[in-house]
Amino acid sequence: MNRIQKKIWSLTLVVLFIMAIIWIALTYYNQKTQDQYNAILQRYLSLNEVTVASQDLITDLNDYLLQPSEANLTQVDASKANVQDAKGEILILKNKDNEFAMANYMNLIDSLTETADRSLMHHKQQETEASTNDFSEAARISNYISETTLTLIDTELKTYERLYRQVIEQSNELKRLGIWLLLLITFLLLLMTYWFSKSITKPVQKLTQSANELAKGRFDLPIKVESNDEISFLAETFDRMRVNINNLFLEIQEKAQLERELQQNKLLLKESQLKSLQNQINPHFLFNTLNIMSKKAYLEGAEETSDLLVSVAGLLRYNLKRLDKPVTLHEEVIVLKQYMEIQKARFTERLHLHMEIDEASLSVQIPGLTLQPIIENAVIHTIEPSEDGGNIWFRILDSENLVTIEIEDDGQGMVQEKIAQILGGDSEQTEGQSTGIGFSNVVKRLRLFYGLEDVIEIQSMQGKGTNVKLKIPKKRRNDEND
Amino acid sequence: MRKTGIVLLCFLGLVLFYFTFQSAGKVFRSNWEMPEHAIEPVNQHRLILITKNLDTPFWDQVAQGAREQAQKEGVSLEVWGSYGNNQDEFLKKIEVAIYSKVDGIIVQGMDSEEFNELTKIKASFYNIPIITVANDVPIEKSLRRTYVGSDQYLAGQMIAKQLLADMGPAGEVVLMSDSNQEYYQKQRLQGIQDGLKDYPDIHAVNVEISDSREQIISATQDVLNQKPDAEAFIAVNADFTGVIVQEISKRFQVEPYYIYSFDDGSDSLQLLEQGKLDGIIGQSPKTMGNVSAELIIKLLRDEEVPFDKEGYLTDIRMLKEKEAR
Repeated sequence: MNRIQKKIWSLTLVVLFIMAIIWIALTYYNQKTQDQYNAILQRYLSLNEVTVASQDLITDLNDYLLQPSEANLTQVDASKANVQDAKGEILILKNKDNEFAMANYMNLIDSLTETADRSLMHHKQQETEASTNDFSEAARISNYISETTLTLIDTELKTYERLYRQVIEQSNELKRLGIWLLLLITFLLLLMTYWFSKSITKPVQKLTQSANELAKGRFDLPIKVESNDEISFLAETFDRMRVNINNLFLEIQEKAQLERELQQNKLLLKESQLKSLQNQINPHFLFNTLNIMSKKAYLEGAEETSDLLVSVAGLLRYNLKRLDKPVTLHEEVIVLKQYMEIQKARFTERLHLHMEIDEASLSVQIPGLTLQPIIENAVIHTIEPSEDGGNIWFRILDSENLVTIEIEDDGQGMVQEKIAQILGGDSEQTEGQSTGIGFSNVVKRLRLFYGLEDVIEIQSMQGKGTNVKLKIPKKRRNDEND
Repeated sequence: MRKTGIVLLCFLGLVLFYFTFQSAGKVFRSNWEMPEHAIEPVNQHRLILITKNLDTPFWDQVAQGAREQAQKEGVSLEVWGSYGNNQDEFLKKIEVAIYSKVDGIIVQGMDSEEFNELTKIKASFYNIPIITVANDVPIEKSLRRTYVGSDQYLAGQMIAKQLLADMGPAGEVVLMSDSNQEYYQKQRLQGIQDGLKDYPDIHAVNVEISDSREQIISATQDVLNQKPDAEAFIAVNADFTGVIVQEISKRFQVEPYYIYSFDDGSDSLQLLEQGKLDGIIGQSPKTMGNVSAELIIKLLRDEEVPFDKEGYLTDIRMLKEKEAR
């Protein structure tokens, strides 16, 4: 957690670090320069010190010679000590360039003190003239010392000229460095601030965008935020929420779909039930009448007629009872056979029916009265219009998951539009239908029953015939769901 | 677009980094060292060559010779002195050198009271050996260890000989020398006079002039006025040569006059090359420098004592106009 805080901290630390480095470097440099300046100044000061000390010595000596008191003598001694001290200090100034001059300088100082001593000695011995001579000599030497000091300073300047120029150059360079450093740091900070702010605001922006999409109702776009801070956590949570909402949404949609299907199913059932109700009285009466007629025909020796009547009765009964319940394919096939016998009686030699039935697949569940309307359709369009009649093939083929029921004829075929109508469920023609159930009703029922669109397939060519294929799954989808 | 931007930024960053580090390097990596402090004591001998004619061709050569020798021997030598025959400054330098307790002094001799006092008393007091070079001061006066330079008497004789050869055994000759009576000039005069004394028809007149330029000019003019017949001029003090030639050329053609000089004047050689002089005595300044330095170093190292008090004479020759060219 607190990644954003960390980022802010690290930015601040980097800035602090840079500032600290610059501060340390500048302080170090400053110290170095200061030391250098001090050393240089010290050299000149100590050279000057010698001149001053030697002049002091001369003054004090003069005072003493004019006024030989103990105090003045002490003063002279102190001055001499000063001169020696100053001499000791300039010893460190010796270098290759001024070796010669320095040696001379040292000796001059020595000569000065020696001459001063001599003057004092002569003074003590009351040799006034010698003492005065020595004094003037000492004064001259002191002058020479002053001059030599100047010469030495001059040499110093020459020796160190390069160094001084370097110092000047250095300070100029420092100015330039300051400018470059300012530019560099500005550049770096701008860059870092840009990256830093972007790393915070970009995920937020993405999140905002995703939220907008969600608000518009698009739940299918995944929310992806590439970041390693709290925002990404937020985004993940947000994404989970989106997925959940999406799932719930889909579930509701599915439920609504199922409900609608159920409603339709019920409506279709009602429709057919209504139709069958219309004929309810008649069929029962007809059914009984047909049975009596069949017995009568049998008793009168018209066996064929009797069988025919039995078939018609069976068909009628089936039609009445089995519409709202699934039946086995076996039952359907029996009804189909009865129907075909009736039709055979009608068309005699014109109807050729070829049946190929795989007995193993007959246990499969199927909605009632699905095959008969299709065969009827084939009979109506193949046998009826043709003088010579025609062939109808009926096949039941078993495969692993499917049972394929094929009804083929060699009639005049169907127009493509009509096929589309049937498959789309638009056709409501009921003309010439013996059971009152049309082709498209079958299609709809099959689809509802199995919950599959791909149940029926119709192939037809003008003048060559029609091939209707039903693909009946061995397992109903609703079974799985239950 | 974005890519170009990034590349541009990187480039900018690199440039900034480069210049910043370059600059920082210059500031912090600079060599701030002071010149090495010479810790070991200076055991070398310190020699000083002092002249009152610094920056003349002659003395430059002497200095060069001495320096070369000193360097060869590993001894430090400095050349001090004054310019343009400035005697006070010259004496001061000698005094400073003595008070500075140098190990040896090679000096252009100057025959004066002060000089002799310095060399005789001060230098002895501090026990500093002195060698005179080019111009000598006799040992009795200066207590110098030895002399390195030309035989000035011989040089005078050579001039006299040349004069006889050029002018013939008759005529009036003007000799111009210093009123200071420098020892070397006296010797030169002696040489000339001795060279000419066998020729009674040659009248040599000695004019003594003090050292200032005005004096020389007026003296030359006087001579030209008083001795209109003078045919030859000899600048015994070579520094006079320029003025003499200048004054003569103001009035007459210089060519008919026989003018002789020595090469230790600042413009002698130049005048000879221009054809204004008929001949000068060429000395060996570089050898003088060499030999004097060598001798004093030997002396300091106790290698060759005692010295030849009379001095070590270097080569001289007569330089004629043509030879100079």
